Amino acid sequence: MERAELALYPFTSAASQYVGELDFDLDRLINSRAFQSARLRGEERLIQSLTSGISKPSLTNTDEGRVLTELLSYPYARILVSCLNDPYLNRKYSHAEAEAAYSLLLEREDFFLREIGEEFGIHAKQHERGFHLHFADFLKYSTTLKAIEWKLINQRMVHGNVFVERKDFARLLQEAIKKNIHEGLPLKVPEKTCTDCSGALSRLKELLQQKKGDIENGQTGEVDSKLFPPCINYAINNVRTGVNLAHSMRFAMTSFLTGIGMTVDDIINMFNVSPDFDEEKTRYQIEHIAGSSGTKYTPPSCSTMKTYGNCHGTDDLCKRINHPLNYYRRKMWYKKKFKKPANTKEKKGTE
Amino acid sequence: MNTSTKRYLKSRFHDYYREAKIHVPHSLTKREWGFISYDSMPETMMYRHKAFGTGGELRDYLVSMQPAHVYHSVALYDYPDAPTMKEKKWKGADLIFDLDADHLQDAPTSYAAMLEMVKAESLRLLDFLVDDFGFDEDNIKAVFSGGRGYHFHITDPLIWELESSQRREIVDYVGGKGIKSEYFYQKEFMIGDHGTGTRTFNDRTEILSKYVIKNPDTGWGKRLAEYIASYLEEEGQKEEKERFADIKHIKGFGKKTQQQMNRISKDSKALEDIRRGRLDFGKIRDFKAIMARFFDNTIDQHRVTLAGSAQVDEPVTADIKRLIRLPGSLHGGSGMKVIPLSLEDMEDFKPLQDAVAFSDRPVTLKAIKPLEVQMMDLDIRVEEGVQELPEYAAVYLMCRGVAEYGSY
Repeated sequence: MERAELALYPFTSAASQYVGELDFDLDRLINSRAFQSARLRGEERLIQSLTSGISKPSLTNTDEGRVLTELLSYPYARILVSCLNDPYLNRKYSHAEAEAAYSLLLEREDFFLREIGEEFGIHAKQHERGFHLHFADFLKYSTTLKAIEWKLINQRMVHGNVFVERKDFARLLQEAIKKNIHEGLPLKVPEKTCTDCSGALSRLKELLQQKKGDIENGQTGEVDSKLFPPCINYAINNVRTGVNLAHSMRFAMTSFLTGIGMTVDDIINMFNVSPDFDEEKTRYQIEHIAGSSGTKYTPPSCSTMKTYGNCHGTDDLCKRINHPLNYYRRKMWYKKKFKKPANTKEKKGTE
Repeated sequence: MNTSTKRYLKSRFHDYYREAKIHVPHSLTKREWGFISYDSMPETMMYRHKAFGTGGELRDYLVSMQPAHVYHSVALYDYPDAPTMKEKKWKGADLIFDLDADHLQDAPTSYAAMLEMVKAESLRLLDFLVDDFGFDEDNIKAVFSGGRGYHFHITDPLIWELESSQRREIVDYVGGKGIKSEYFYQKEFMIGDHGTGTRTFNDRTEILSKYVIKNPDTGWGKRLAEYIASYLEEEGQKEEKERFADIKHIKGFGKKTQQQMNRISKDSKALEDIRRGRLDFGKIRDFKAIMARFFDNTIDQHRVTLAGSAQVDEPVTADIKRLIRLPGSLHGGSGMKVIPLSLEDMEDFKPLQDAVAFSDRPVTLKAIKPLEVQMMDLDIRVEEGVQELPEYAAVYLMCRGVAEYGSY
């Protein structure tokens, strides 16, 4: 890999080896004025991870200064993430780095994609319309992708080799990059180093708090979330803590929320924490489920939820209904009929 | 099981282990071992977290302890004898498939018929392992469990590091779970060479389309193509009125469809085309519904049901810390051998003969209840009370807990 490439793919072993060979002091990266632009860019990587996604510069080998800045901003960003050591940020950051790499990879030659694959132990071969790789390599990175099209059974597999199109191969590489970065965090950083970074850290902490606050205040309105069935609350809690939902659960939750009258924007705000978050795509999916295409979907019944393993935390009321929407309607009805006393009585069941 | 029965069984097992061929698993020193002894029965207590340095140590242990059941971990550990999983340090695991009569639907009650059914299931699994997953036959070890089924150990290092969720994908693959029909067939427009059927009306040309199976040469796509072709072929042998009974009721299955299918069912070239992925049934209004039926039937015919914990529906395959019976050991619940089989032997293997470990020397025992046993090609009728039976049958009955040793 050339130097400009090392800066754009700083998570590769070649890049970290190169940085190692530069043989400079960690203390200088943290404190020296010479590296201020690298530190600013490092901080920016994290800000972008929490907001728009990391954008990468276009670099050529002759831009020596800019290449070095970009290259060193990566270890600096990792130091900051490690000092903060917040699981949500770790996930968001790994995801953003991987996603940015994915966009770059789509533009690259086949041999380059294969080279990146080798970095993560994926031994791929080329064929006319993409790549093929051993199913074990495929599974290592495909199982975190929950869409049914990624299931092994839905692949073309010939004698243990899975055939994937170029774009899908790049998507697998994105997962590999994410996993690799995420597993490497947090780094062991000396306390003194974190203290030296306190300025950047407190700015980031504030942004992080603000982002998390947005999430928690994301849904209100006419809807009373205390009356949601346990399965939906379970899904919402997962989304809030940034755990990716299986497609079937995402569908169930979204169709439930639109079913009880939440707006598309309300729901998007709830999804906004998922590390996979892609507003345009999410909006499309929600609008689709909410009925912009003419068909409005209703959430799956309790028995379907059970089949897909999405029924969590059954309570007494669950036994008497067969549909999550009925759970909510029944509770609404109680609430209206008995105002105070029944409401507190019913609460026992859900909490 | 009384004390003299326990003592008798242990002495028989002692003799067996002195001579037996033990199939020591690869990476022996990295495996954890577990044992269940007759001494603690009727309680089953597993003594585990044990490790051996050599095959000789293992044999010495078996000869001197005569355990009823012998298991080793599917996993390889840095410290296999450490008391907790965390301290053991998991390094990888063989891939295991467990097929068991208890998990099959409509399993027959006779032991022999039941084992026959599991064997058929095993041969289906082999098809997946070799054709789809491309495992080298040297890396597939088939084992008769000595009980009610078969185990497959895949020892290919490429799969050692797969985690549970990744192994579950393999389970879903062989079980036909999560298959999405839209990834298996698509509409193709007949242009160019295929344009002969094109009709033009009012200056508008209708381009005909046909459906094709996407991967008719491999995996489930191949099974689907093969199913459709042989289904049509078989239906063609029937009286015309009786044909296509299970798809006839589908909306859009009209006269024309039937005519087209009739024609194909008699046309070996057309059937060959289907096997190559071409589904040219003419215009069918509800093609999707018919395909869905074909899909369901294909899955029913080929899927493999794997054994596992019923409570959590977790197949053995996905359990990367499981213990599995040692090939070459005895199954303490039947007294039969846990036998490794070559893939060629599998088809002709007769468990109730080939897995018998003991002689036909007469042994006196007291049966607690009447029973019929088929062993060594004999139908042995056991009456309640004291009698003499060949050693292998006597051991079997005592292991099952339906007889005691001796005449009192």
